[in-house]
Amino acid sequence: MASNSAQINGSAISSDWRDRYFHIDQILDQPGPRTDPSFSAGDGVKDFLRNKCKILVIGAGGLGCEILANLALTGFKDIHVIDMDTIDISNLNRQFLFRPADVGKPKAIVAAEYVMKRVPGVKVTPYFGKIQDKDDDYYMQFNLVICGLDSVEARRWINATLVNLVDPENPESLKPLIDGGTEGFKGQARVIVPTISSCYECSLDMLNKPTTFPICTIANTPRLPEHCIEWASVLEWPRVHREKKLDTDDPEHIGWLYSVASVRAKEFNIEGVTWSLTQGVVKNVIPAIASTNAIIAASCCNEAFKIATSSAAYLNNYFMLIGTEGVYSFTFEHEKREHCPVCGGKSLEIPISRDWTVEQLIEMLTEKQTIQIKKPSLSTSTKQIYFQAPPQLEQATRPNLEKKVSELVEEGGEVIVTASTLPFHLSLVITYT
Amino acid sequence: MTSQDSQDIETATTAIQSQPDNKTRRYDRQLRLWAATGQSALESARVLVLSGDATSTSILKNLVLPGIGHFTILDNGAVSHADAGNNFFLEGLESIGKKRASEAVRLLCELNDSVEGHADTRNLSTFLDTSPEWLSSFTIVIAHNLDNAPLQELSSFLWSDPSYPPLVVVRSAGFLGEFFIQFHEHAIIESHSETAPSLRIDKPFPALREFALSLDFASMDPTEHGHIPYVVILVRILEDWKKSHDGNPPKTYAERQEFKKSILATKVKSDEENFDEAEAQAYRCWTETKVPPEIAALFEDPAVSPEALSQTSSPFFHLLATLKEFTDQSETHTLPLTSTLPDMKSDTSNYIHLQRLYKIRAEEEKQAFKSHLRAHVDDAMVDSFVKNAHSLQLLRGKQWGTFHQDKPALASNPKETCTHLALSALFSLNEMNTGAPPIAEALRQQIQGTVGEGVELPEGIDDIIGEIVRAPSAELPNTAAFLGGMVAQEVIKMITKQYVPVKGYCIVDLIETWTGVIGA
Repeated sequence: MASNSAQINGSAISSDWRDRYFHIDQILDQPGPRTDPSFSAGDGVKDFLRNKCKILVIGAGGLGCEILANLALTGFKDIHVIDMDTIDISNLNRQFLFRPADVGKPKAIVAAEYVMKRVPGVKVTPYFGKIQDKDDDYYMQFNLVICGLDSVEARRWINATLVNLVDPENPESLKPLIDGGTEGFKGQARVIVPTISSCYECSLDMLNKPTTFPICTIANTPRLPEHCIEWASVLEWPRVHREKKLDTDDPEHIGWLYSVASVRAKEFNIEGVTWSLTQGVVKNVIPAIASTNAIIAASCCNEAFKIATSSAAYLNNYFMLIGTEGVYSFTFEHEKREHCPVCGGKSLEIPISRDWTVEQLIEMLTEKQTIQIKKPSLSTSTKQIYFQAPPQLEQATRPNLEKKVSELVEEGGEVIVTASTLPFHLSLVITYT
Repeated sequence: MTSQDSQDIETATTAIQSQPDNKTRRYDRQLRLWAATGQSALESARVLVLSGDATSTSILKNLVLPGIGHFTILDNGAVSHADAGNNFFLEGLESIGKKRASEAVRLLCELNDSVEGHADTRNLSTFLDTSPEWLSSFTIVIAHNLDNAPLQELSSFLWSDPSYPPLVVVRSAGFLGEFFIQFHEHAIIESHSETAPSLRIDKPFPALREFALSLDFASMDPTEHGHIPYVVILVRILEDWKKSHDGNPPKTYAERQEFKKSILATKVKSDEENFDEAEAQAYRCWTETKVPPEIAALFEDPAVSPEALSQTSSPFFHLLATLKEFTDQSETHTLPLTSTLPDMKSDTSNYIHLQRLYKIRAEEEKQAFKSHLRAHVDDAMVDSFVKNAHSLQLLRGKQWGTFHQDKPALASNPKETCTHLALSALFSLNEMNTGAPPIAEALRQQIQGTVGEGVELPEGIDDIIGEIVRAPSAELPNTAAFLGGMVAQEVIKMITKQYVPVKGYCIVDLIETWTGVIGA
């Protein structure tokens, strides 16, 4: 045992006590029958894993806490973590690196400190902020990226960023992306090798459509407690509070919505408006438990370990788990989407009627399950069709909304779609039916 | 906002809840799955884990976080250098040499103040011989990588009395793992099935039928017409259809198409979504509501027969017998109606009225159900039972190890069976030659002995044997974490009696990343 081994975060080697990796080394010291011949057992692979490999974890929440702990125990020593959130009391039922006294503190920082304290010799570098704050050079420094996110938008952003990072001339630019997600007793883990295998964007149509309620139901014919809650948050809040933004993390705001929704429910004889439901509807709360996160995070980290060491084949490429009735799982290869706007390299063909207005086209785009964008702006290579922002440009292009697309774009013409939530430009080829 | 509005809101607010307390907020994300009843079951649960190794602490972490009442780690070992490297619930070098149970309990308890943890550093074998009754004070017992001999003893003891706790047997080596839950019987009222109960459109209760017949579609104004709930539309059109078809619903394909057409023909405007919904749901008119076959099968369960039912029978069987009697005697031979009405295109008043009709009828049928009930059962349980009558489940388990007597089954499902046989062989060998790492040939022979001499071993067995030989005693952090999540998930389902736990062996291969189930 080295004399300075108790020193936290000393150099990587000094903290590796005898037999520290007794378990992992059984895998790293020799190949298995199914191991790829490129695997170099022994010191080489250990040195890469423990001294050279740099891994990025996106999200320090339900999956992120588990991922950080697993990576640290597995022998990754240079781990970075990004998370823009602070700790909430409702995180404590599963985000096991946080304590009640940590409520309000940044997740990335608390998680990093905890893991470094518990697992000697591991360096975890936190960043408390958004993934969009970082540029290509930042992402270029990692060998692998693992995502434990609850946001589709953030996943699309990192996916597109890593796909765009790929330079065929430079093998180092290919960063495998491992993505996990859970909801209640269900979850999935997948491996994305940018440009080679199916990417996140390729599978957008697998997402459940978010529950939305027609505005006329909310305004005129409420039937469910949810309709009353939507009425309070979508219609009443802006009417009463004007410019003040609704903060769904503020209990006073939720309390206000709850009472307003309750009054409306009473008026219409609708039962079932509760505090919990109000919060669930306005925050789009997804049930989450420690055990499912543990399974999915372990699966993600296991793939990271196998990719980093080549000690065993990695997942090709999607693992789906449903734990509500027995244990059901499905491992399959998700196929690349031919017209994937991120990794497909081809324009998406959109057949529309000659009579369609620009507004109709925009509405269609926002509803399309394979595209999923809010507030798209449209242009061609020579002119602006419609821009959502800045306000002057919006005003200047607004008259186009009522024009027919066929007046502005020729048959087979290209339309570029941008949106603040999209990290890439979507290219459409318009054909008329 | 006008002062009138704020007055109303204040009045309403005083009558309703304020922000939930800290405990409810802490558990919010899980209460949305198993609600207060599930939570209270967890909080009364006492879990025994027979090791403080990485897999065991991973399982416990996922039980301590959601708030089980009590856990005990039984482990007489000291923390080794290897333990300190792969277990998050040890403090590296500082824990080496200390009692593994005590260190793990201390660190696990930091996760949740409301959970009580106890370290027991006795030796399992000694008290299995002297006082095994102690085990019956637990809700469930979990054993990871326990040697064959004590495991067999443990499993036999816990199987010897149906009132003794279930046993979860977990095994792993390298990237491979499996677990099995040994239990006699597991009854589930809240299975959280995604199958919705019948709305009984084909057998409308009187108030629903009257309501549907009272409507005069022709004289309605267009707004009203576009807001009749589809349930009412279907009941009405079906009644009209039956009048002209000898009381029969649409039977042939042609009749059904005709029926659907007649629904759309009733539209007064082409964009009436309620009629589109009615057409899409028209199959409900010719799908007869009856007792679902899974529930009918439960009625035949020996435990439900009048001879078998006694004061000591569990409330579930009394309720099941009552349900059988209720459906036998009900006019429609159906399960009690549930009041849950899905959302549908409708104006508020029609929807709320319809919802009220369902509620009133459901309440009446529940009272009728209760009149058949002869045992004393807690009201909340009766309510839940009636509400979930369409998705009740009764699982009958097996004793650990009996799968090996089923030779034909051992020869099927090659992928899963290979992993199971190889892990079983590893543990048998470990027992025979303590210390020496297993060699492939010995594992092969052991497997051959299990499936029977002369039986061809499944394809792919050598790959699995090779993996076992590569890492026979490796408890990989990721495998431990994966099994930790899987096992905790099943334990939660067992304790809460909600959702459906797995039957048989759940096999895990983290090289190809799949799970599978055998020996159910």
